[in-house]
Amino acid sequence: MRVPKSERILAYVILITMASLVLAPVLAGSITAFKPQIIWVSSPPTWIFEPTLENFEFVFFTRKGWLYLRNSLIISIGSVALALILGVPAAYAFARFRFRGSKALMQWLISLRMIPPIVVGLPFYAMFLNLERTFNIGLRDTYPGLIITYQTFLLPLVIWMMRGYFADLPAAMEESAMVEGYTRLGALLRVVLPVVWPGIVATAILNFIFAWNEFFLALILAGNRTSTLPMTAGTYIVRTRVEWGNLFAVNLIIMAPVIVLTIILRQQLVKGLTFGILE
Amino acid sequence: MNESDASDNANQSVSTRFYHLTQRHRHWFFIAPALLILLAVVIYPILFSTGVSLFRVTFASQSRPFVGLQNFERMLSNDDFLQSAFNTLYYVVFSVSGSFALGFAAALLFRRVTAGKELLRLILIIPITMAPIVVGLMWNWMLDPLFGLVNWFLGLIGIPGQTMLAQASTARITVVLVDIWQWYPLVFLILEAGMATLPRAPYESARLEGVPSWLIFRRITLPMLRPVILVALLLRTVDAFRTFDIVRVMTDGGPHLTTETLSLYLYRTAFTFSKLSRAAAGSILMLLVIGLISAIMFRYLYREVELG
Repeated sequence: MRVPKSERILAYVILITMASLVLAPVLAGSITAFKPQIIWVSSPPTWIFEPTLENFEFVFFTRKGWLYLRNSLIISIGSVALALILGVPAAYAFARFRFRGSKALMQWLISLRMIPPIVVGLPFYAMFLNLERTFNIGLRDTYPGLIITYQTFLLPLVIWMMRGYFADLPAAMEESAMVEGYTRLGALLRVVLPVVWPGIVATAILNFIFAWNEFFLALILAGNRTSTLPMTAGTYIVRTRVEWGNLFAVNLIIMAPVIVLTIILRQQLVKGLTFGILE
Repeated sequence: MNESDASDNANQSVSTRFYHLTQRHRHWFFIAPALLILLAVVIYPILFSTGVSLFRVTFASQSRPFVGLQNFERMLSNDDFLQSAFNTLYYVVFSVSGSFALGFAAALLFRRVTAGKELLRLILIIPITMAPIVVGLMWNWMLDPLFGLVNWFLGLIGIPGQTMLAQASTARITVVLVDIWQWYPLVFLILEAGMATLPRAPYESARLEGVPSWLIFRRITLPMLRPVILVALLLRTVDAFRTFDIVRVMTDGGPHLTTETLSLYLYRTAFTFSKLSRAAAGSILMLLVIGLISAIMFRYLYREVELG
């Protein structure tokens, strides 16, 4: 697009301002994680100081941050793995087979994106309580309990994203494999999956980010044994005193892996965030 | 196995019929596991909740009398519920329109620059990927009346320190602004991707004919972008409607319930005050409202694009 020079300069000025306003609080906050305790709160803010890792050390060991990190990893990876195992075959069927109701089912899957978490979180708590009392099955404050619950928002997204990736591949691929004697499932596993691998990785990454950042369902259904990182971040705010350095250390531990994953994912991000509706 | 072979051989008719049956329904082998789980984790809880909302259930008591629609009536005549419903509406209106306007502006400006696009986009993606809870905590620090950067900055230009989150008059708009900060990049990202796929020909001919740029925007960009705009609005609306995390860490609903959202209020009703069935009734009402809103938006969307 040809643009007059003055217009382009104005566009740059505004966009750079926007980018700075996005970046400034993130950077300013993050460096607090490396400040020694005496300058956590200082006005005017201290910009030059000897960076220290003592906040991370405190958060990680004294406050058992490694435990919460482990919980977050187990729950996120576990729920994404389950969503892929269940969702990839379903997505494949939606992409390859024409059957009555397939369209309505796909639309129903998007509609699940609209459900507020409180609507499922509330009955989940009561259902888990009932299971405990009646059948002695404990799901509250357990990894399986959260991993199953997270399927409410992960599974529809996996199916939609993967359906798009499968639909991009020519059907002739499995057909020729099936002529060579593969079954449909064999062709999917041996021929299609190796090709659609990058799509699976992109789907896994985006879903991991959602599971990793999840707060509401964890707040209701996790407990001492399964607390995740986002749940513990709030514990550094006490009415009398906020441990800002420690808080930002936790924030950074939550943010850092997501930012790295986002950079890897950036080409596929929009497709995933919009459920690939806009193909 | 081949179809004509099978039909020639009468002895195989049973197994053939079974084969055809499985062939015709083979998609269910792939779909059934996912579908069953979704029925268990989404549909069953909603039905369960609907059931609970018709009884008087608390965590404390074992007796559970049937009360019909009483819980719904109680909720709809409860001032705190109505207040949080109003607040939620406020969040939806201002957070959606604010993030949409900023995101759209950013996407339009983005078409006018050349160098550094990749870096700009990467920076703007950051808030989207942050946990809302982290965003809220970060802005708590930014807005601290004593040492927060916002007040430090305001102090430099001569404005005295403000306690924006503690005052009833400013808390709500402050939380909304933080929400906009986090989500206008999402609108930007979606619209920018949509604009990148627009055909160039209409623009070039319009420019050749000297059509002013605001008219190009209204007559070409806007109509062609409509499905993309609808998707962005739909996602923002359902997310603003369920706002919880940010408010929970920034104000926890206060001061005087001015920032309380429906999600927050229902959470408190169930888990602090142990009124499970009332909270269930409230959440079903919430589901009906967002269901209606998104159904309307979906109808418009279906007219624009072929789904599924």
